[in-house]
Amino acid sequence: MLGSLIQQTVNALTIGSIYALIALGYTMVYGVLRMINFAHGEMFMLGAYVAFLVLSMLIGTVGAAGAIALAAAFVIAIFLVGVIGVGIERVAYKPLRNSTRLAPMLSSLGVSLSLVTGIQILAGPQPVAFPSFFPVVRYQVLGGTITSMQIGILIAAFALMFGLQFLVNRSRIGIIVRAVSESRPTAQLLGINVNGAISMVFFVGPLLGAAGGILYASYYGIMTPTMGAVIGLKAFTAAILGGIGSIPGAMLGAFILAFVEVGGTALLPVITHGMLGTEYRDVLSFAILILVLLIRPAGILGEAVSEESIVYKREF
Amino acid sequence: MSVAETLTAAKPHSGRAISFLVFAIAIALIAASPFLPNYYVRVINSLLIYILLGIGLNIVIGYTGLLDLGFVAFYAVGAYSYALLASPQLDLHWPFLAILPVAACLGAATGILLGIPVLRLRGDYLAIVTLGFGEIIRIIINNLDWLTGGPKGIARLDKASILGIQVARPIDFFWLLLITVLVAGVLVWRLERSILGKAWAAIREDQDAARGIGINTTNAKLAAFATSATIGSIAGAIFAASQRFVSPESFTLQESVLIVLMIVIGGIGNILGIVAGAAILMLLPEVLREFAEWRILFLGLLMIFLIIVRPAGIVPRSFGPDKLIRRLFGK
Amino acid sequence: MTLVFDKLRKQYGQVVAIDDVTTSFAPGLIHGLIGPNGAGKSTLINMTAGSYSVSSGSIALDGKRLDTLKKYQIANSRVARTYQNIRLFDQMTVLENLEVCFYPADVGGTWKEVVWPPYASARREKRREKCMDILRFFDLQGYAETDAGSLPYGRQRMLEIARALVCEPRVLLLDEPAAGLNHHETAELTARLAAQRVPDRITIVVEHDMDLVMKLCDNIIVMHHGKLLFQGTPAEVQASPDVQLAYLGTANDIDEIRAAAQDRRAQLGIRARRRS
Repeated sequence: MLGSLIQQTVNALTIGSIYALIALGYTMVYGVLRMINFAHGEMFMLGAYVAFLVLSMLIGTVGAAGAIALAAAFVIAIFLVGVIGVGIERVAYKPLRNSTRLAPMLSSLGVSLSLVTGIQILAGPQPVAFPSFFPVVRYQVLGGTITSMQIGILIAAFALMFGLQFLVNRSRIGIIVRAVSESRPTAQLLGINVNGAISMVFFVGPLLGAAGGILYASYYGIMTPTMGAVIGLKAFTAAILGGIGSIPGAMLGAFILAFVEVGGTALLPVITHGMLGTEYRDVLSFAILILVLLIRPAGILGEAVSEESIVYKREF
Repeated sequence: MSVAETLTAAKPHSGRAISFLVFAIAIALIAASPFLPNYYVRVINSLLIYILLGIGLNIVIGYTGLLDLGFVAFYAVGAYSYALLASPQLDLHWPFLAILPVAACLGAATGILLGIPVLRLRGDYLAIVTLGFGEIIRIIINNLDWLTGGPKGIARLDKASILGIQVARPIDFFWLLLITVLVAGVLVWRLERSILGKAWAAIREDQDAARGIGINTTNAKLAAFATSATIGSIAGAIFAASQRFVSPESFTLQESVLIVLMIVIGGIGNILGIVAGAAILMLLPEVLREFAEWRILFLGLLMIFLIIVRPAGIVPRSFGPDKLIRRLFGK
Repeated sequence: MTLVFDKLRKQYGQVVAIDDVTTSFAPGLIHGLIGPNGAGKSTLINMTAGSYSVSSGSIALDGKRLDTLKKYQIANSRVARTYQNIRLFDQMTVLENLEVCFYPADVGGTWKEVVWPPYASARREKRREKCMDILRFFDLQGYAETDAGSLPYGRQRMLEIARALVCEPRVLLLDEPAAGLNHHETAELTARLAAQRVPDRITIVVEHDMDLVMKLCDNIIVMHHGKLLFQGTPAEVQASPDVQLAYLGTANDIDEIRAAAQDRRAQLGIRARRRS
């Protein structure tokens, strides 16, 4: 019992840290542009595919997949996806900044669709086996099984999240991004480089999402062109759960969602006497999404955005 | 220069000539359909289904300005209504005309049920909730094996017949769909021009100001959701009857996105635009047979391009059916 | 038949925007609401129209509470408003902007409009007649089929007032109707609003243009820091030393102005310290 509890906790932490990496991208983009980026799940997918490509090129030149080659592939891949993210923003969203609120969302929908089909055409629609980025050693802890892969994922994900916290709270660019999040017009009036801040967000967000994708593909040993859709939706749920626009909120929401999911998947068949099986796991997360939006649309750590404050902001 | 640009920008008489040309092609296509090989009739039928779906979804997206990414759920409700009420699955064999109102009501009920909680939300959350809802419906269909047959779907649906006339061949469905599209198109167009349609437009433009002139925005949006869901559901029932087979594969998220794509490319908020969008969506793979897998990539890129360069779509909102009629028959 | 504020209060955390305001507005008159920036004039308008919630106290029209109603229900009690920043339905035509105001009255007949064309055209004709009347009154009839968003600024202001008037409201709330208008346009606006002084209508104007307020209003309410400072006819307001000190700035004595400014600065200073 204790063993399985520990095992499930580590499972939830692992999945939660991957959700968190993706949720951060949603929340940051929403923070600066008030836009839902439907193409963000595809950054997650691109991460895995680009890492696979970079790794095979590295192995082609170096010869073997050593630890250094793996680490290099990881870093190069997430950097490349970050650059792709900035490029997409420039081409598909930037021209729409003063357009209706629907326009950039529709555009991101088009980007998402194009990326998925583009990868399907280039790499084929079928799942591809993904190399493990971490050595797989099983540890027995109080009767539960934990793998070195899970520990590796947790370390990598937490390192990235701490890096982001540092970047946002301590660095100059972080202050700029937060200022633009608070109020774009005011930031503009103060002579802050708004475009630079937005580019930064579209670099860091996809970078973290890509890292999540590599860790995820490595964890399950597989990647598909459509892997970003459902997980993207879940990460978005996590971002709303924590309070969209809030960076700590996204992380908190991701872990809560992961724990509910892992717990729910274990308990659902027991509670409903097998009527609802584990295949309803995704339904559970969407149901949470809808519930959160109904009960507390601002999320756990988000600022309450009532209609009144929207009117207020419009008028002044 | 696109057709619509020519229509709107050029001198009236050349615009009129093009209107006539397009109109003549449409009439010729309808007249020629009975003599086309079955394959082409089937292509035209799916074109008509997409137009019907587009007319439905456009009420929510184009008229009311709400992004609904779970539209395919209503399509599924209609399709499974027919599949369950006219197949050996539950051993029910209702006539087509009895199922149609049931499917319509179920669709409307689903729309209202989804709408009541989510329509109070801010607009951009709506997209994500409807997307989640669409997925929930698909997952439930996929897993409720005893009722829906799970991933295998339901096969051997009854042949539809209307008032004793059997509707089974592609050409029969062509006439059924054509009539449905025309009726739905005219009704929805009149709805757009009614006072409710004006209220939808006001909500799209400025929801808060709409409340300020006395519009109960929740009710108006619910009406939009319900009407849209009804049309989606009817399209689903006809689709199921024509395929005589349903499975969850027809109701994926991508299908929802394709309908959105079609509306945006064709011309958001305009029924004529939907026809243009559906034509592009359906005819493209026929033209680019060798590059069939490139179709969606092309459509995705086309949508991004159009949103940036020509946000009104191929046929802009201002060139509605009334204008077409005036061009064709007026002074 | 009056509009009554009873101990009306609006608070944002510790900041009191409206401080227990009690007053009433008689019908048939145009009431001016003036005061320095931040006095709470717009807040009063927004609370009356239901855009802002009420912290405590009440607003009642003919003894019927308005503050417990939703925004659209308040509008349906025939309270109409304009906004400080013009809020038209930009991509609808000028005519449609007015037509849509008949939604509460006509929505019941929607299905009949859809299936029975003669009914629809009769209804539309009836609506259009009323709309065209008011458009003519504001000299906008030539723009009927133009998109509201593409009108020049001054015309947009007029259209917004026309939209508020088209359903013959009992309470008309105008939030800085002359903002951004030139001299000529302001004069036109003043004349038109004066002509709309009908017996059972309560018009409340928030405005910084003193010329307009003094010419147009029958009754002027001066606000200061969320409280009522003074109420009276234009002549009384102009003669009141309190008002001069607080707001009008017509005092000849420069020391007085300095003292008033000092006073304000002190108050702001207190506020700033409280925040931190």
